[in-house]
Amino acid sequence: MNAKWFKLLVVSIVLLGCNQNNEVSEIAGKEYGNPLELKETVKVSALLATPDVYLGKKVQVEGKILDVCKMRGCWIEIAGDEPYQKIKVKVDDGVIVFPMDAKGKTARAEGELYKVELTVEEARKYMQHRAEEYGEKFDPETVTEPMVFYQIKGSGAVVMN
Amino acid sequence: MKKKMKWRKWNNILHRDLGYLAFGLTVVYAISGLAVNHMHDWNPNYKVVRTSVMLGPVADDAAQVTLGQASELAKKIDPEAAVKSIYPLNQETLQLFLADGRSVTIEVRNGRGEVEKVSRRVGLQEMNFLHLNTPRKLWTYMADLYALVLLLLAFTGIFVIKGKKGIKGRGAWLVSIGVMIPLLFLWAYF
Repeated sequence: MNAKWFKLLVVSIVLLGCNQNNEVSEIAGKEYGNPLELKETVKVSALLATPDVYLGKKVQVEGKILDVCKMRGCWIEIAGDEPYQKIKVKVDDGVIVFPMDAKGKTARAEGELYKVELTVEEARKYMQHRAEEYGEKFDPETVTEPMVFYQIKGSGAVVMN
Repeated sequence: MKKKMKWRKWNNILHRDLGYLAFGLTVVYAISGLAVNHMHDWNPNYKVVRTSVMLGPVADDAAQVTLGQASELAKKIDPEAAVKSIYPLNQETLQLFLADGRSVTIEVRNGRGEVEKVSRRVGLQEMNFLHLNTPRKLWTYMADLYALVLLLLAFTGIFVIKGKKGIKGRGAWLVSIGVMIPLLFLWAYF
């Protein structure tokens, strides 16, 4: 192999490694909401590392379901491809209802990435609501700063068995 | 006079037969209504049982725990337990998903854990499924039809009895109270 071809090979490998979109095959499972449209998933790590790139765009993610909304099944939290990462897929109440026993299963979900910005007061209410959902005690004084996070407004999902 | 009696007769037949038809759906909507009305106090679809466990310190970082170690931890909770997968939620917290559907959240530094078992409320979940129109599709039209039947039952109901106990007497008072109830709550809360 001459030097030119070797360089081309190295550049191709690097570019492939940088590509955060993964082409995906059809999956079997229970469908929720609209059928999935996108043919590629984005790694959660990529979404969280450069959210501005994906903001307002329809994205598809895949991962283990870490948690499900206990009240109305109106959101799922999907684990990232790297430790400690997760992203919430929020759906309109009653339009899509995720079952609680989906926890631990793998889901592929898609929707628009959006940014949630909360003032300190809003963040306290949000955390209070979250604590109530989990049946935990919550001291509003522990929230001292505004919150910013990203969520996916889910339009459809497939939960694999 | 004869014509008036005929009108009431058909009203009562309609009220009676719609009442029979609506029985099943009314039971479903009423039971589910009670269940979902208290959604903030309990989960109407699932029974969630959480049990605290103490497993002893596991690791400094949840990401360091292997599937093998997690299996050993699960055996301490239940010798029959099989771990399907694990995920480090943060440095201190590891989540285990067991094959039987249970999940375990463990604080790896102190070994404090919580086992969560979720089971369906059989029967009630199906009723809520219909009541909250989760299936959509044709059920939407069925539920619309049921709402129309309820309206017809309400209107035919007030004309079932004539005389002092009918809408011109006792009925008028009771219907007025029934109309006032939502208005009163709207005045108080809206």
